[in-house]
Amino acid sequence: MSTRNAAAEKLLLQMVDDYTTREVAPLDMAIDHAQDFPEGYLQQLTQTGFLGLMLPQEFGGAGFGPEVTATVLNHLARGNASTAVTLEGHYKTLDQILKFGTPALQQQLLPSATQRIFAFSMTEASGGSNPMGISSTATREGDHWVINGDKIMITNGGLAQVYCVLVKTAPTELSVFVVDQDMPGFSFGKREDFIGLRGTPVGEIVMDHIIVDDDHLLGKVGDGGLIGDSAHDDARILMGAVLTGIMEHELKIATDYAKERKAGQTPLTELQVTHRKVADIAMRKETTKLLYERAAQLKAAGQPYSEEAAMAKAHGSRAAVAAGDDALQILAGYGYSREYPVEHLIRDARAMEIAEGTVEKMRSAIATAEFHK
Amino acid sequence: MSKPELWVVAERRLDHIEPTTQQLITKATRLAGDHFHVVTVLLEATTDHLEDELQPYGPDEIRIVRDDRFPTATDAELADALKQLIDAAHPNTVLFGATITGRSIAPRLQAKLQTGLTADCLDLRFDDETLVATKPSYGDNIMCEIICPDRRPQMATVRPNTFVAQPQADATPAITTAHITFHPVARLHVTAATPVVNTATTVGDASRVVALGRGAANEDTIASATQLAEKLGGRIGVSRPLTDQDRFTHDDQIGQSGNTIHPDLILNFGISGAVQYLVGMQDSQTIVSVNSDPNAPIFAASDYGYVGDAQAFMTALLAQFA
Amino acid sequence: MKIVVCIKQVPETNDVTIDPHTHNLDRRGLAGVMNPFDKNAVEQALQLKAATDAEVVLLTMGPDDYAQSLREGMAMGADSGVLLSDRAFAGADTLATGYVLAQAIAKIGDVDLIIFGRQAVDADTGQVGPIVAEFLHQPQITYAATLRLSGPNEVTAERLLEDTKQTLVAQLPAVVSVRSELNTPRYPTPRNIQLSFTKPLTTWHHDDLDLDDTRLGQAGSPTIVTKVYAPTPVKRALTPLTGTPQEAASQLIKALKDRQLL
Ligand SMILES: Cc1cc2nc3c(=O)[nH]c(=O)nc-3n(C[C@H](O)[C@H](O)[C@H](O)COP(=O)(O)OP(=O)(O)OC[C@H]3O[C@@H](n4cnc5c(N)ncnc54)[C@H](O)[C@@H]3O)c2cc1C
Ligand SMILES: Cc1cc2nc3c(=O)[nH]c(=O)nc-3n(C[C@H](O)[C@H](O)[C@H](O)COP(=O)(O)OP(=O)(O)OC[C@H]3O[C@@H](n4cnc5c(N)ncnc54)[C@H](O)[C@@H]3O)c2cc1C
Ligand SMILES: Cc1cc2nc3c(=O)[nH]c(=O)nc-3n(C[C@H](O)[C@H](O)[C@H](O)COP(=O)(O)OP(=O)(O)OC[C@H]3O[C@@H](n4cnc5c(N)ncnc54)[C@H](O)[C@@H]3O)c2cc1C
Repeated sequence: MSTRNAAAEKLLLQMVDDYTTREVAPLDMAIDHAQDFPEGYLQQLTQTGFLGLMLPQEFGGAGFGPEVTATVLNHLARGNASTAVTLEGHYKTLDQILKFGTPALQQQLLPSATQRIFAFSMTEASGGSNPMGISSTATREGDHWVINGDKIMITNGGLAQVYCVLVKTAPTELSVFVVDQDMPGFSFGKREDFIGLRGTPVGEIVMDHIIVDDDHLLGKVGDGGLIGDSAHDDARILMGAVLTGIMEHELKIATDYAKERKAGQTPLTELQVTHRKVADIAMRKETTKLLYERAAQLKAAGQPYSEEAAMAKAHGSRAAVAAGDDALQILAGYGYSREYPVEHLIRDARAMEIAEGTVEKMRSAIATAEFHK
Repeated sequence: MSKPELWVVAERRLDHIEPTTQQLITKATRLAGDHFHVVTVLLEATTDHLEDELQPYGPDEIRIVRDDRFPTATDAELADALKQLIDAAHPNTVLFGATITGRSIAPRLQAKLQTGLTADCLDLRFDDETLVATKPSYGDNIMCEIICPDRRPQMATVRPNTFVAQPQADATPAITTAHITFHPVARLHVTAATPVVNTATTVGDASRVVALGRGAANEDTIASATQLAEKLGGRIGVSRPLTDQDRFTHDDQIGQSGNTIHPDLILNFGISGAVQYLVGMQDSQTIVSVNSDPNAPIFAASDYGYVGDAQAFMTALLAQFA
Repeated sequence: MKIVVCIKQVPETNDVTIDPHTHNLDRRGLAGVMNPFDKNAVEQALQLKAATDAEVVLLTMGPDDYAQSLREGMAMGADSGVLLSDRAFAGADTLATGYVLAQAIAKIGDVDLIIFGRQAVDADTGQVGPIVAEFLHQPQITYAATLRLSGPNEVTAERLLEDTKQTLVAQLPAVVSVRSELNTPRYPTPRNIQLSFTKPLTTWHHDDLDLDDTRLGQAGSPTIVTKVYAPTPVKRALTPLTGTPQEAASQLIKALKDRQLL
């Protein structure tokens, strides 16, 4: 792991802020309305090196650590949450290949990760919160594996070129394999028509007799549950960061508007009802920030972070929806209009009460962790 | 004792005098009172008579240097010529327009003279014989006053259109000639110069805008507005309701959810002046509005206003342009 | 070919305030960033580097934290950076700044092209480029809108004056200042930001340069800022146009002529 360089981090965040202001934020509304990133948008993100942010330098990446990676997504999400979530899906997948892939697999795949997007797919029609409910399988045939199944609701599904897939290697045994869109038997299915994070494609892949070798297995046979949990943990820190960015955006809209608008002769900034809303938005933002930063610190220090990561997302997702609701109310009719961004920020934040584990599942995880203390 | 000289360096733009020069002469004559001798320095070709465009503004003297190389001379050559004139006359103050030309020559001259130069000024006054120049900084968020206490000449470039040029009825400047040695710079040549005609392709980069709102939305009015925009070398922009018409798109819209513009001149016709519209154009330099409602909020944000019918006003304006 | 790009570090935003007690600029808490116009200059140099394999050296005069902008330029792709930092250089106006930069460029040696940004966004003068050109006795092309190498030892540029487009050809060595329309500066990628810390950054102090002390810093600066204040926004005063449409139109035409808008 690389040691931290404060000067490099400062430059990085300056670049990210500059990029967000000029390339991302101006397209926020358009991305939501078009339900896609504009032509060339992801190519520019790729050219600017965002895909390699947390990838170690030996694989051609920048090698920034967990704290910086999360902060970058926080800042990007101030401009557009979908952009940050697309990167979140990529980073959490790379994290699992770095943690569980063999050196040979890493050498084979990771150098391309600065140019190609990676995704992690667990969910199926028959199983979301409950991984054991899935029906995809990998069966041993001679010295290789044959994968069959249908995965849905994958962040970056259709966009990503490499997929980690959770499958059953026995009726009660979960394992994770890495498949490439170029493999025979791989095809894309339908893209979801989701109400939020509308730039990020969330879609389906179909695996029809895909043949892979042992080296495409992550970890060992039967490690699927462990790897899936690990992917969730890594994703949740980053989602806490994205949610913080959404709340910072909500706060800015609310305060900018309140400073200009008058109720009769009284500026909105002098009304107690506005104070309560703005203070609550600010507190929700700040608590979420502290939670994700704490989880990222633990991760960087090599300590357990699963519970803190769950808190960052469980707290942050509800907080960002509530903060958006307060911001909408300050803007009132304008807030309810699609010409202002508040309503789509609520829709964006709402996705994160579901994706990477529902808030209900996270609460049970947090509670279980507490019972074990 | 002769009065200290206050110079305005005349700038040519194609075959004319750049308007900032005239604005500066007006300002200089006001500042001079009885204390300074206002000289306009003009570098022109032997066949030029650009002094005719300076004379009405009434400097005390127009000092002309003629050389056929001046119209295509480079910054270094012009700075060298001015340096020779300054060494001969020791002016107290030298002013330039803060045009691209002025801002290129003046600092080169400053370096030759080892003196102070204040850039892009928005106001000038004298404290005794010391020029106090007011210059904006930090994107016009801060103003500062700058002086050059010890060295002469003291110099400033002044932002175009800061002052209003005013011809004087009885102006009779002395016209004198001066001489310099032209030192050509071998290593730089201007190989072409072509006039740029109105390159604006969108309302966002037009320097003149004719803006139409719901009160100026019928066929005839739009036709007149199109002519007017052509005459002014500008573009048409619209308030949001007009983007419902097929001929206008969101790209033509001015305002919060459209373009934020700051042209030199905007003429608003039949626009009420909702805040969402105003934020898109309130930084325009000169704002003119025509609206049939005397209480329309647009007037509070305008420099010139006419209460009346948009079409009638446009027709009258077009007739007088012809 | 060796190209020097002069860069300045400026406050991140122009939202500066005045300290009500000292009447000085309150720049506390403002992070420094590379002058945005200087990014166009760096980008131009990097494009020439790609075409000719030129060496690109960044040069800045300022306090030690200006090193950050040198790193940023190196992360964009410049080869090395030189920081001119000394208490004796502080408080310089454009003349004293130009002098030290010119002496440093002479020391760097064999420089074919010196590129400046259009102007610094804080003080907004745009004077330093022409001053350096004069001190080095080099031809200058200011406000270049395009720039290309047109021969082994020659650049051709287009320059946009208010309503004229000029084409100029300069023999090298020469000084060019560039407009922002010239190009879109690349972003430094995260990886190149990390790698920029392995590139050479040299600091030169007073004694490293051949300098006339009377021309340095505040003492060598002819101009003095005597007062700094926040402008009071001018409310527009409405001049009514009156009478018939014809009368009103002629009043307007006169007013616009006075304002030299017609
Ligand atoms: C924007 C977005 C992106 C996504 N990206 C991915 C991705 O990249 N990869 C991927 O694999 N999936 C992804 N998903 C799918 C997501 O992980 C699942 O939707 C989620 O796990 C819930 O599964 P489900 O929708 O099948 O709901 P179900 O599991 O059917 O849950 C229905 C309800 O029951 C509750 N519930 C279920 N089980 C429990 C339990 N044990 N305890 C308490 N409550 C329970 C849930 O909280 C929920 O309220 C994404 C979803 C969204 C919205
Ligand atoms: C979220 C949001 C964003 C918005 N963004 C924008 C935006 O970007 N740009 C924008 O323009 N609007 C925007 N609006 C709409 C804005 O609030 C106003 O509704 C709009 O600007 C009104 O346009 P108008 O002045 O042309 O029409 P009106 O308000 O209907 O005004 C028409 C005016 O024409 C005058 N008039 C009528 N007949 C004549 C005549 N014969 N001669 C002269 N005058 C006449 C009337 O007196 C009246 O003042 C936005 C609104 C919202 C809610
Ligand atoms: C509010 C304020 C107003 C001022 N007004 C004036 C004034 O009117 N006249 C005056 O003489 N001085 C003035 N100064 C001083 C001036 O800011 C400094 O001399 C500064 O070092 C250079 O001038 P500039 O910022 O205007 O740069 P500019 O001349 O606008 O910069 C042009 C280019 O020169 C290069 N450059 C500029 N500074 C450096 C540097 N330090 N290192 C390397 N390259 C550089 C960059 O390429 C830049 O794009 C003012 C200062 C302040 C704070």
